[in-house]
Amino acid sequence: MKEELILGKRGQEEMVGFAVIIVLVSVILLVLLGFMFSNSKETGAVESYEVESLIQSSLQYTTDCETYIGFLSIEDLIIDCESDGKCIDERDSCKVLNSTLNDLITKSWNIGEKSAVKGYKLKIIVNEAERLTLKEGNETMNYKGGFQDFSRRSKNYEVFLNIYS
Amino acid sequence: MVRKILTNKGAQIKIQQMIFMILVVFFFFILVGLFFLSIAMNNLKKSSIDLGEKGSMLLVSKLANSPEFSCGNAFGTSRINCIDFDKLMALKKNAGTYSEFWGVVKIELRKIYPESNIECQSANYPTCGIIKILDKNVKTLPYSSNFVSLCRKETSEAGIYDKCELARLMIASQDRT
Repeated sequence: MKEELILGKRGQEEMVGFAVIIVLVSVILLVLLGFMFSNSKETGAVESYEVESLIQSSLQYTTDCETYIGFLSIEDLIIDCESDGKCIDERDSCKVLNSTLNDLITKSWNIGEKSAVKGYKLKIIVNEAERLTLKEGNETMNYKGGFQDFSRRSKNYEVFLNIYS
Repeated sequence: MVRKILTNKGAQIKIQQMIFMILVVFFFFILVGLFFLSIAMNNLKKSSIDLGEKGSMLLVSKLANSPEFSCGNAFGTSRINCIDFDKLMALKKNAGTYSEFWGVVKIELRKIYPESNIECQSANYPTCGIIKILDKNVKTLPYSSNFVSLCRKETSEAGIYDKCELARLMIASQDRT
């Protein structure tokens, strides 16, 4: 009777051991699964090459600011803004630059709290001095950036764009 | 005698327990193996789709700068990611000739700024916003796209000038999975 009791107790111990092993393996599996899914690519995310190409294409965009040389592109407008120029219709070239760039970026991506793109920040630097900064939405830790530079009239222009998601 | 029978019975129970345990552990590991195998297969499928998308993305950049699409030197100096609107309209008319040339099933260009949802035809050019070069009716992978500058010659009171707008070049490959 005593031996039967001992055998029964051993069986119970083994079952508890088995249950512990299953729980441990399940936890390890769950951790691995979580790790695998956290590494999966986010859909709708912005890619760096897109930001880069947006800057390149935007610089070529023809604005409605007309001067004696014709309609200015964004690149020309940046240069005109640096020399405090004005369009034929007396609009300030910096103001036109501001609004056109903002329109170009907001039309390119749907920026908002619930959208994949949370915000953007654009900086124009002339000879290492910040000339123009445009911002909209939230700045997060997760962002893709692009950069484009050009030189004109012995000045170096740099355009930086960060898209936050 | 009774003690001997009891000991034998105990040993038999132990052997049964061990066999049961081995079987359970064996099936458990087979299940775990199958689980990981299915994940690995799923990942393989995903990476094949990713590779297709990456190829499309590279093709988008290549297309934008190919002679059939690019501005060349028509708008002053050579430009990157610049598409000639006139070339595109001519290409649209002869899309059938190029249907197998790029290895994709859909090529579309959408004006972003100024935005327009009118599909381009010869009659409404250039006041339109969507140009479909290739549009095969097959199952496709998600679109890959890139921003481009869509340029054309425009006339004003002052004469002819270069007008460039912002657009998105989109392509999609066939889904062969």
